[in-house]
Amino acid sequence: MPRKTFYQFMAPSMIVMTLLMVIPLGMAIWLGMNFMTFSNINDPQFVGLRNYIEILTDPRFWQSFRFTVLYALLVVPATIVVGFTVAILLDQVGRIPRGIYMSLFLLPFIIVPIVGTLMFKQLFEPSGLFTYIYQTLFDTRFRYNEISVKVLIILYGIWYVAPFAFVVYFAGLQTLSQDQIEAASIDGASRWQKIRHIVIPHVRSLTILILLFSIMDTYRVFDSVFVLSELNPIYKADTVMTYTFQTATLVQRLGKANAMAIITVLGIMVVLIPNLYQAYKEQMEER
Amino acid sequence: MEKVRSPLGRVFIHLALILFAIYSLVPFFWTFLQSFKTLKDANSRVPLFFFDATWENYQELWLRAVPENLATIMFFLLAAVVILICLLVFARYMPVRNWIIYLFVLAAFIVLAWSVPQILETAKFYDYFINTLIVTIGTVTVSITIGALAGYGLSRYAGYVGVVILIAALGFRALPRLAFILPYYWIGTATNLLDTRILVIITLVAVNQPFTIWMLRSFFMDIPRELEESAMVDGCNRLTAFTRVIVPIVWPGIIATALFSLLLAYNEFLLVRLLTQTNWTLPVAISRFTGGEDPRHLTLAAASAVSATIPIVLLILFFQRHLVKGLAAGAVKG
Repeated sequence: MPRKTFYQFMAPSMIVMTLLMVIPLGMAIWLGMNFMTFSNINDPQFVGLRNYIEILTDPRFWQSFRFTVLYALLVVPATIVVGFTVAILLDQVGRIPRGIYMSLFLLPFIIVPIVGTLMFKQLFEPSGLFTYIYQTLFDTRFRYNEISVKVLIILYGIWYVAPFAFVVYFAGLQTLSQDQIEAASIDGASRWQKIRHIVIPHVRSLTILILLFSIMDTYRVFDSVFVLSELNPIYKADTVMTYTFQTATLVQRLGKANAMAIITVLGIMVVLIPNLYQAYKEQMEER
Repeated sequence: MEKVRSPLGRVFIHLALILFAIYSLVPFFWTFLQSFKTLKDANSRVPLFFFDATWENYQELWLRAVPENLATIMFFLLAAVVILICLLVFARYMPVRNWIIYLFVLAAFIVLAWSVPQILETAKFYDYFINTLIVTIGTVTVSITIGALAGYGLSRYAGYVGVVILIAALGFRALPRLAFILPYYWIGTATNLLDTRILVIITLVAVNQPFTIWMLRSFFMDIPRELEESAMVDGCNRLTAFTRVIVPIVWPGIIATALFSLLLAYNEFLLVRLLTQTNWTLPVAISRFTGGEDPRHLTLAAASAVSATIPIVLLILFFQRHLVKGLAAGAVKG
C-alpha cells in the first residue's frame, strides 16, 4: 500500500487518538505541575514539582501503593493457576458440555465489573449467604474491617480475572500438536509428565502474555476497589487508582491527582518498555 | 491431550468443573434470589431459599407509578421485543433484502424505546438505561468505523511508521485511564461539554481505539492480499475494494471486535463517573445503590444488578462463539 493511501486510511483514527490520548497525556504532565482545585480550575497556579514531592512523602500514597502490590502478588499467580487447571479439565469433556461450561465460566469476566462487585458484596451483607456460612463455621459474626475488606477485594479480583486466563489457556490447548502427545504416550509418559513436559512449555508464551496483561490490569484496578472500599474510608483499602480518584474528587486536588496519575504511568512504563521493545522487534521482522 | 477414559476419572473431571461453575455463579444466584424478596425476607439472618417471590423491587426500580393494567402492557412490550429479535435472527431466510429488515428493526426499537415513557410512568432508571444504549451504540459505531479503516491500513502498509503507530497504540492501551480522564475533565469544563453524551462517546472511542485497531488488524492480516489486488484490477479503488470485498469476508472478526467494544463501553465506570453529573450510564447509576447505608437499598441494588446483567447474558448466549474466538485471536496472536 503506498504511503499516501495509508495515511488516508489512518487519518480518522489518528486524529482521534492524537487529540484525545497524546495531547491529554501531555496536559496531564502540565496539570500535574499546577496547584489546581475546582475553584481555580480556569486559573491554575504553577508550582513546579511540588505536587510530586508531596505525593512521594504522603504516607497514604505509599499505603495504597503497598496494597496495590499485594493485590497483584496474590491475584496474578492465583488466576494463572486456576485458569490453567480449569482449561486442562475443560479440554477433557465433549463438545456440548464444553459450550455450556464455557458460557458459565465466562460470566464473571463479561459482566459489568461494578455489578459483579455489587453481587459479590451481596453475599457478605449482614443477611448474605457467606455471612451466614461464616457465622456457622466460626461462630463469630463477619464484620467489615481493614483486613476483611482487603480479603474481599482480592477474592473478587481472582473471581473476576481467572476466566480471562482460562480462555487464553484453553485456546492455546487447542493448538497443541497431537503428534507430540502420542509420541509421549508411546514412550510411556504419564499424564502428569505430559502436562509437565509438553503442555506447560507449549503455553509458556501465553503465560507471559497473561502475566503482562494481568500485572498491568491489577495495577490499574479501580471499579471493584472503589465500590468495596467506599464501605468506609477508615478501612484504608485504597489502591493507587482509587486514591488518585479520591484526591481528584473528594479532596479536589486536581493537580496532585494528575501528578499521581503520571507517577503511575511511569511505574507501568518500567514493566511495559521491555515488552514494547520486544513487540517492536517482532513487528519489524514480520513486515 | 487424549481424553481420560476411566469412568471414575470422568466423574471426577465433571465434578471439579461443576464445582468451579458453582463458584462462578454463586454471586449471580444469590443476587437473583435477593432481588425477588421483600425487604423483610432479604434481611433475614438465616438465608431464605424458599419465599414468596415479588416483583416489587423491579417495579420500584423502573416505574414511578404502577398502573393497573401493568401485566397486559408488559405482555405486549415483551411480545414486541421477541418478535423483533426473531425478525433479526431469521432475516437471512426472508425474501427481502437483509439491510431493509435490519433498518426496520432498528427503527422499531427506537420507536419502542421512545414510546415506553409515554405509556408507563418510568422512573429514572429507565432514562439511565436509554442513556447507556445511546452511549454504547454510538461508541461501537464510531470506533469500529474508524478502527476498521486504520486496522486495514496497518495490516497492508509495510513502512516504518506503521510499526511505530502499532507500538505506540500498545503502549497507550496499557496506561491507566485516569491519566487521560483527568485532563478530559479539564477539557470538558473548558468546552462546556461536561455531562453530555457526546463527550462520553468521543472519549470512550478514543480510549478504546488502541485495542480496536490491534484486534481488527489481526483479523485483516489473515486475508490474503491477492483478494483486493484482483478486485483493484477489476476496477475497484482501494476504498471500494475494502468495503465491497474485504469487509464482507472479515465480518465475523468485525462482529467479535464490535462485541468487545460494546462490553467496554457498557462496562465503563470511571470515565462516565467523572465526566457526567446527571447523564449517567447504568454502572454509575448502580454504584449509587451500593454506596449508601440505607438498608432499603439491599433489594433495590440486587434488582438493579440483575437488570443490568440480563442484556449481557442475552448477548453471550447469542454471540458466545464470536466472543471466544475474539478472546482467543486477541490473545494467541498477541
